[in-house]
Amino acid sequence: MKSIQLSYLLGSIALLTAITSCHKDKIVNNQTTPTAQRAGIYILDQGYSSQLSALTYYDYTTKTLTPDIFSSVNGRSLGNTANDVEIYGSKMYITVDKSGTVEVLNAKTAKSIKQVKFLNGDKDSTSKEPRSIAFYNGNAYISLYNGTVAVMDTITYTVSKYIPVGNDPEQLAVANGKLYVANSGGLNYPAVDSTVSVINLSTSTVTKTITVGPDPYAVSVDSYGNVYVAAYGVYGSSNASLTIINSGTDAVTSRNNSYTGGPFAINGNNAFYIDGDGTIKIFNVKTFTATTTNFISDGTTFVAPFAIATDPLSGEVFVTDAKNYSSNGLIYAFDKTGKKEYSLTTGINPGSIILVNK
Amino acid sequence: MQKTLQYDYRHLWRKSRCYVPFFVLGLMPYHVFAQLDTVKKLKEVKVSSPVVPQIQTVTPSQTVTNSDFVKYSAFTVADAIRNFAGVNIQDYGGIGGMQTVSVRSLGADNVEVLYNGVQMNDAQNGEIDLSKFNLINIQQITLFNAQPLDICQTARAFAAANVLSIQTIQPKLSFEKPFKIVAGVKGGSFGLVNPYLQWQQRINKYWSFIINGYDENANGQYKYKENADGSDTLATRKNTDVHTQQIDAELYWAKSDSDKFNLQFNFYNSNRGLPSAVVLYAAPSTQRLYNRDYIIQSGYHHIAKNSFELLLNTKLSQSFVRYTDTGGIYNATGMINENYMQREAYQSAAIAYHILPNWKLSYSSDADLSNLQSNAYNYAFPTRLSLFNVLATNLSLGRWLFQGNILNTYIDDRVKSGTAASSKSAYTPTVIASYHPLTTKELEFRAFYKSTFRNPTFSEQYYYAIAPRPLKPEYTSQYDAGIAYTKTTDGVLEYLTVSADAYYNNVKNKIIYIPARSPETPSVVNLGKVDIRGLDVVLKSQFKPFYNWKATLSANYTYQNAIDITDPTDSYYLEQIPYTPKNTLALNAGIMYKQFGVYYNQILASHRYSESDNDPQYYLPGYSVSYASAAYNFKLNSIPVLASVEVNNLYNKNYVIVNGFPMPGRSFRFTFQITI
Repeated sequence: MKSIQLSYLLGSIALLTAITSCHKDKIVNNQTTPTAQRAGIYILDQGYSSQLSALTYYDYTTKTLTPDIFSSVNGRSLGNTANDVEIYGSKMYITVDKSGTVEVLNAKTAKSIKQVKFLNGDKDSTSKEPRSIAFYNGNAYISLYNGTVAVMDTITYTVSKYIPVGNDPEQLAVANGKLYVANSGGLNYPAVDSTVSVINLSTSTVTKTITVGPDPYAVSVDSYGNVYVAAYGVYGSSNASLTIINSGTDAVTSRNNSYTGGPFAINGNNAFYIDGDGTIKIFNVKTFTATTTNFISDGTTFVAPFAIATDPLSGEVFVTDAKNYSSNGLIYAFDKTGKKEYSLTTGINPGSIILVNK
Repeated sequence: MQKTLQYDYRHLWRKSRCYVPFFVLGLMPYHVFAQLDTVKKLKEVKVSSPVVPQIQTVTPSQTVTNSDFVKYSAFTVADAIRNFAGVNIQDYGGIGGMQTVSVRSLGADNVEVLYNGVQMNDAQNGEIDLSKFNLINIQQITLFNAQPLDICQTARAFAAANVLSIQTIQPKLSFEKPFKIVAGVKGGSFGLVNPYLQWQQRINKYWSFIINGYDENANGQYKYKENADGSDTLATRKNTDVHTQQIDAELYWAKSDSDKFNLQFNFYNSNRGLPSAVVLYAAPSTQRLYNRDYIIQSGYHHIAKNSFELLLNTKLSQSFVRYTDTGGIYNATGMINENYMQREAYQSAAIAYHILPNWKLSYSSDADLSNLQSNAYNYAFPTRLSLFNVLATNLSLGRWLFQGNILNTYIDDRVKSGTAASSKSAYTPTVIASYHPLTTKELEFRAFYKSTFRNPTFSEQYYYAIAPRPLKPEYTSQYDAGIAYTKTTDGVLEYLTVSADAYYNNVKNKIIYIPARSPETPSVVNLGKVDIRGLDVVLKSQFKPFYNWKATLSANYTYQNAIDITDPTDSYYLEQIPYTPKNTLALNAGIMYKQFGVYYNQILASHRYSESDNDPQYYLPGYSVSYASAAYNFKLNSIPVLASVEVNNLYNKNYVIVNGFPMPGRSFRFTFQITI
């Protein structure tokens, strides 16, 4: 008798929790000052090993926070280790590393338009590991860990070519009609790569390979045509580095082997980056000098600052905090003076941020 | 009188080996103490009574024996103890799936596994995979909260928060029948074929040996329902094959119960697929694990006439692990191939002496030298010397029993490359008390406090770290108060035992491994503080409704409120720690008629969260899994035969214990065994 009661109790507890824990959006009242044309902000949460990725959305107008809008809208999960998100035209593209997919979504609704697979064979084969995505003239360029860059038409979603580059390519960016791809070789650690492949976008061929610091992973471009390549270095034998490439000549302008920061988020002349000490610094892309003071002016600190983005319209800077890399993270919004406006809860390992217009 | 003494001996030996010398040797100076209350009362108990499960121990303990394994549809040690109160099994699913056990929410690293009294040590990872043990040669498994009952034992047995003690089968043969051979085969779902053989041999009056061997092969594949990818079809769990061989041999010498020696040798060889967490839309890479372990260990136990007791244990072990990952690995070789070789030398000595017949003192000292070699890049190649010293005492005063000990742990690391972590030392105490309010001893009150110290494992301290990580040891404190009641009758109810223990545990400086974005980033930290309040209730009963019939019913209930109290600014502050159900209930019922028995087992666990944040997206629903089994012992041409069938997940439920690792649906296992 006792046991029966207990099992009922257990059952009712489980049921009760199931009812009360439905995936619900939260209303978050923040003091936001978004510009008129912004609809909201997406944060891509990588998850980790067994915890699937998610797409967090905060709507500026309704002030609702949806922990995973991808699964709420599409009834399925993004998959394993979503690595990059970009918006091109009216569509949003998400590269999902372990699942071997590029998810094409309606940028405003997150409704799935197409799931493009990048597998080593048919269904049930291993992933080519799509890492990052960039766009040029109606084509999407996707770096794949199998050592290629896929050229995909953004209307038909067909891949016309796989351009061989270096090992384990990471981020890529377009400057002067050319694509710059960071060849990390990170999976050969410690024998990493230290090159950037330059692809001519009219011929889709590699025209040059530029030597940068060991284990490059981040590529960004400023309005002057400078390409910034951040590299991890090899722990214990070489430092992290920042290499500046002139995309007009493809010559290395400078290489800073004592760079302690992360990827750049560029807004005009200001490139914001997360420094090794957890502060936010600004590199001036016109004068090539970095500030030594913290951009954050109100004393806000982070446990594990993870990703940075900036809104060129409002001048806001967004920083995510991965906390302990296995619990929910946070995204902080700062105004142009470095004062915190608000913070929101994200999923696990919030690795990319993208703003969407109305 | 003889009978009574035998019972006394048996009972007290179980309760605490300390009392053995007085009764076994019947020493004159001590004969008066045979009249002590504690002994006197026992004479009322009939020797012919059924073996009552022993839950009335000074610290809570739960036991499962060889004959019970079929009742729980158990194939591994973890299966056999999944019904225990306070136990939370992390089961990654399938036949070769890793299984670790956490007791009272303290984590798998704080459970020590004793194999014939000697700790199974994994200096690299700290956790013992309980799926490695086949049940064929196991006599008994006991889980002790805090520590085993006897104070004359290895110092390491005092060192963990909880102890899982595994005893192998010892030959009990006579001159008339000097040998026994057990041969059998298990088979069924997952393509399982598992033949096994056991040879027990009496050499002479003092010497005997036992040899066990088995071969296990299975493809391990099973279907599961994947809900997260939006598909309706069943997927198949792949890369799940298991190929394992194990041989062990034990040589026993026993002049008497107070003068014993054993020498044992174990060989374990395994080659298995490691199914990764489910990957949506693509196949995961193919991870495999190869193990080859050799253990040689010996024990000597002597109790002198003056009550002086000596226990010596020695162990040499070598454990080789090879991990490979192929298919979709984008490095120069297209694969990951990591080798780890752990070697260990261990010596323990324990002495005990009765200062007064009711007051015993013991001192144990253990030394362990563990070394890890690897082909991993930039590895430290650490060697660790661990010294454990314990002073313990046991005092019985009328209806009271007191036990206390103080343990010193000293750890010193040396590394071949880089810098070693600084040496560490700590004193941790344990205090235990029990009280029998009734003269019949049917009722017991008990309480304990225990503090433990866990040093970071090699993986936590050194893996991918040039400098050792600045980690502090993890401390646990346990407070327990409980009540245990045992009733035996000559009527329909043969026995009823009930115990309830409430506990409060806390963990300080919990060592947390963090999967960071690049392996070279330090990813192990002393983050956690956990506050655990729980209740374990154990009920066991046996009935004899009719002649030749027997029925058993047991129920174990666990309540655990284990919350994270690390930092009030954390989003998960005061939330339940991952993978810890608040309520767990395990029910087991059996009916036996002569040599035929049918059994039913049910496990219910309430919901859990896969992450620290108790958010809907990390919610894992509660589950209810049923097992049924039937066993029949009969004679075929005068040869004893055991035939059994076990059904796991009887109602074919979809469930997960670990997020991303779906559990199998209904499966079957058949056993056919003969004894010569």
